[in-house]
Amino acid sequence: MWLLAALARLQPAAESQADDVSCLQRIVSGDQAAAEGLYDRHARPLYSLILRILGDEQEAEDVLQEVFAQAFRQASRYDTRRGPVTAWLLTIARSRAIDRLRARRTRVEARGAGIEIIDDMPAVQLDAASAMLDEERSRLVREALLGLPLLQRMAIELAYFEGLSHAEIAARLEQPLGTIKTRIRLALLKLRDVLTEGRA
Amino acid sequence: MTAHDELKANAAGYALGSLDADEHRAFESHLTECEECRTEVASLWPVVAALATAVPQVTPRAEIRDRILEAAMAAGQQRTGQGSSSSTRPSVIRDRKSPPMLMWLPLAAAVVVAIGASVYAVRLQRQMGELQARFDQTQATTAVLAAPDLASINLQGQSVAPDARARALWSRSRGLVFTAANLPPAPPGKAYQVWVVTAQAPISAGLLTPDSSGVGTRYYMTPIDIAPPVAVAVTLEPAAGVPAPTGERYLVGMP
Repeated sequence: MWLLAALARLQPAAESQADDVSCLQRIVSGDQAAAEGLYDRHARPLYSLILRILGDEQEAEDVLQEVFAQAFRQASRYDTRRGPVTAWLLTIARSRAIDRLRARRTRVEARGAGIEIIDDMPAVQLDAASAMLDEERSRLVREALLGLPLLQRMAIELAYFEGLSHAEIAARLEQPLGTIKTRIRLALLKLRDVLTEGRA
Repeated sequence: MTAHDELKANAAGYALGSLDADEHRAFESHLTECEECRTEVASLWPVVAALATAVPQVTPRAEIRDRILEAAMAAGQQRTGQGSSSSTRPSVIRDRKSPPMLMWLPLAAAVVVAIGASVYAVRLQRQMGELQARFDQTQATTAVLAAPDLASINLQGQSVAPDARARALWSRSRGLVFTAANLPPAPPGKAYQVWVVTAQAPISAGLLTPDSSGVGTRYYMTPIDIAPPVAVAVTLEPAAGVPAPTGERYLVGMP
C-alpha cells in the first residue's frame, strides 16, 4: 500500500505546474472546477504556513480565504517568469499572514535578548539522496536549518516567520545590523546549496 | 565594503521579504540594473519556498473548503468581470529547456525509483519523528525570542564552577529558553536541573544536558500562572531529576 502512496507522490513538479497554470487560466473565466482543483492541491501547505506564522486556527482560516480570494482576483496577472504557482501562492500567504501578525503585535519592545553565549552548533550530517518527494525536500530543509549556526537560524526564523525587520532582529539578538544581514545571507546560501545537492 | 557589497547584502532579505520599505524600494531599483543581484535573488526563491513548506503540515478543516471557495470566487469575479479576452489570460512562457521528456520516462525506471523511494520512505518516517521534536524546540525558542514580554536573567557560576555562565530568556506567555556555557561534565548518574525560583517555591523547568564543550541550550514550557520568578538556578541532581532541589548550586541569577 505504501508503495502506491509513494508512487502517487512522485508526480513530477513540471506536471503539477502545468496543471496549476491551466487552472489559473480557467479561473479567469470563472471555472468552478478549476478553483476547486487549485484549492485541493494547495490549501494544505498554505494553511500550514499561515498557521505556523499566526498560531491561531480561526485566524489562519480567515487568512487562507483572503489568499485564495487574492489569487483568483489576480489569476490573470500571474506570470510564469516569476516562479511556479506554488511559490507565488506561498508568497501571498506569507505576506498576508505577516501583515496580520504585525497588526496584532502591539509594539514589540526590542529589549535585546542577547544570546552571545549560544554560538555555533555542530552541523548535522546530510544525506544527499534524491529529493523527489516533497516530504524529502522538507526534511532536507529542516535538517539544514537545524545544522545552521544558531544565530543564523534564529535570524532566518525571526525574519521569515515572525516578520521582524533586519533592524529589529539586530536589536533582539544584540548584534550589529551588518552582521545580521551577513548571517541571513550566509544561511540562505547554505540552504540553497543543500537543496541543490539534494536534487542532483 | 563597496556600495555594491552593501546592496548585495540585502539580496537575501529581499527574497525573505524582511527589508523595510525604504530598503525594499532601493533594492528593487538596484535590481533593474544589476544582473549579479538578479541572479542571486532568483537562485534564492526556491530556498524561500522550501522554507515555507518545511513547517509542520496541517490539513485545514474540511468544512471551510466550500465557504472559502465560494467567497474567494465571488471576490475573484468582481475584479475580472465575466469576459475572458486573450489579454486577461495568464502569460504562459514556455520553458524551452523542458521538452515533454517526462512522458517518455520508461515505466521500468519509474518502478525502480518507486521501490527506492518506498524503502527510503520507511527510513524517512523514523527520521521525521526525531527531527520534528528538534524542530518544535527551535520553533518554540524563536517564539520566546520574539515575545513582547521577554525578560532576560543572567546567571553566574557558583564556587563549584566559577567559569560557568548562563542566560535565561523568559516569557510568561511563551516559556523559557535557557542557555549555559562552561559547565563541567556531569558525573555519571548525575544531571543538571534548571529551576525557576518563585517567592513560594523553586519550580523545576527540567534537565539540561550540556555537550562536550559544556554548552547547553534548551526550551522549557513554564506554567502560564507562575508567580514572578525571583531567581533562576541550576543544581546538580540525580540523573532522573528531583521534585525539589537537593544538590549543589552551579549557577544562580536574579532578575
